[in-house]
Amino acid sequence: MSTSATHRAGKQPITRARLTPRKLMTVLSVLLALLLVFSALAIASGSEHYSLTTIVRIITSEIANKTSDVSSEQRMIILNIRLPRLMMAIVVGAAFSVAGAAYQALLRNPLADPGILGISTGSALGAIASIVFAESFPLSRPLAAFLGAAITTAVVYLLGQSRQGASSERLVLAGMIVNAFLSSMVIYLVTVASGLRQRSVFSWLIGDLSGEPRLLPIVALLVFIGIAIIYANARSLNLLMTGEEEALALGVEVERVKRVVYLAASLITGAAVAASGVIGFVGLIIPHGMRLATGSDNRLVVPGSMLAGSAFLLLADTLARTVVAPSEIHIGVITALVGAPVFVYLLRRTS
Amino acid sequence: MLKVADIRFSYAEAVLKAFSFDIGSGELLAVLGPNGSGKSTLLKIIAGILSPEGGSVSINDKDVASITRREAARLIGYVAQDSVIRFPLTAMEFVLQGRFAQGRLIGFESDDDIAEAWRAMELTETTPFAARPVMELSGGERQRVMLARALASRPRLLVLDEPVANLDISHQVKMFGLLRTLTSDSAMSAIIVTHELSLASDFATRVLLLKSGELIAFGTAQEVMTESLLRSVFETELLVDANPTSGAPRITLVATRDALRSAEIEDQHG
Repeated sequence: MSTSATHRAGKQPITRARLTPRKLMTVLSVLLALLLVFSALAIASGSEHYSLTTIVRIITSEIANKTSDVSSEQRMIILNIRLPRLMMAIVVGAAFSVAGAAYQALLRNPLADPGILGISTGSALGAIASIVFAESFPLSRPLAAFLGAAITTAVVYLLGQSRQGASSERLVLAGMIVNAFLSSMVIYLVTVASGLRQRSVFSWLIGDLSGEPRLLPIVALLVFIGIAIIYANARSLNLLMTGEEEALALGVEVERVKRVVYLAASLITGAAVAASGVIGFVGLIIPHGMRLATGSDNRLVVPGSMLAGSAFLLLADTLARTVVAPSEIHIGVITALVGAPVFVYLLRRTS
Repeated sequence: MLKVADIRFSYAEAVLKAFSFDIGSGELLAVLGPNGSGKSTLLKIIAGILSPEGGSVSINDKDVASITRREAARLIGYVAQDSVIRFPLTAMEFVLQGRFAQGRLIGFESDDDIAEAWRAMELTETTPFAARPVMELSGGERQRVMLARALASRPRLLVLDEPVANLDISHQVKMFGLLRTLTSDSAMSAIIVTHELSLASDFATRVLLLKSGELIAFGTAQEVMTESLLRSVFETELLVDANPTSGAPRITLVATRDALRSAEIEDQHG
């Protein structure tokens, strides 16, 4: 390569026109800082407000395994209630956002979200069925939720197959049909559920982060694996976004990438719904907003959505816990109240 | 260089009926034929996007079906009719996609990738809008960006599906001129599907006539672009004479819709 061409390639217009490692690090650092600020805010606020020094003392004494002068009640609230919930918000926010980014690239539809292929409805149906039919079995809800997601993933994928492989259009159509079918099953179950159970069923449909802290490690692991797989395919997804035939001609193993990314996105959707129920709008607005703010390159959109989704859900959860404290608003209400207007704004700006 | 042997295909309306041809290095082949004759299907099979039902495509004696997608992408650059892009990616990012088969699967483009992409954009005069979103470009600008993406990998064979359909006449001539220069200067060949018969006649080294999936004629423009062959392939009235500057066949379409009018013209000439 001639040195003059290489030299010129370092100049301004070319740097602005594409994603550089420097831009990636800058954006991710800003989002990480935002996530840390929201984390501090989330852990400090609630029905009891704690100063940052108290929180730092509790956490450091716990890590160093020393006793501290902080009351055991404060320790209990911070370590057993707020910290797990904060982690859950981070994991679930990251999961829905990255799943949304993956589905959007995969289906070449900037308005796709984790719900579009019916995976989250399948997951919710599993959980609700276990509430109605097998309430006493321990951990049955998350297990059933995950099973529901897995079965729906397989069914939608098989229905989406055609002679030429899984086309995006067929996949969306199959997802819509399966989603409609599962939604009516959900409504049926809600109708037959007795009064006490109905409230629990309701939580799965609108989202609830106060659920099972025991699930956190396994959900976090599954979500991490899924995000890593999607990130590893980020460059292929960039090409897939401009068309399947063209991606094929440019050297992408299109069928393999589609299958792997579809499975990974469905895995993290299922894991997230199993932990928190269906939380809408996060997977739609976060990746969409990331692309508008920083460009379409998935090497930034995927990790950026992960951090931004965590920060957004954490903030929404903090609001959900504090606005009407000591009572709580369902987090799905907050994400929809914030998400719908933001989405309308984004839509008007792009069209 | 490119050898297409006994190629067969049928799916829905797309049909190709067992034919063979081959072109050498540095050739520019124009594929002509009416709508639905199988031109795009032929291009997609050559580019490896569709698999043929029988027969084979080989480039430099390598069977395209036996190599990986990435190897094929390094040999063949494909330019589709149009790209429908719903995401705000820049022209530069779009052209850099052409380097996918050279680069790492994970990570960033190398300095080489960037320099090659920039070279391709200079060739196609697309550098002024490197930072603009592809979805906001005009049809003609986007078509040149698509060519730049295919050129960025320095392929041995360039395959283009109606690359001048959205271009004004000056850019049509420029596009054909650029393809001719690229193919004669380097060891690259090109196949182009087009409806611009006279431009194809002026610039192509070979012409292939296709109708209903059948190869009707294959040869130089002088051999293939005769009145009788073109009339029977396109089923329309046309005249062929020599282009006064290049001497290549020049095609003039004759309006036949209005039987009365054409009768009048005949009367005047008679």
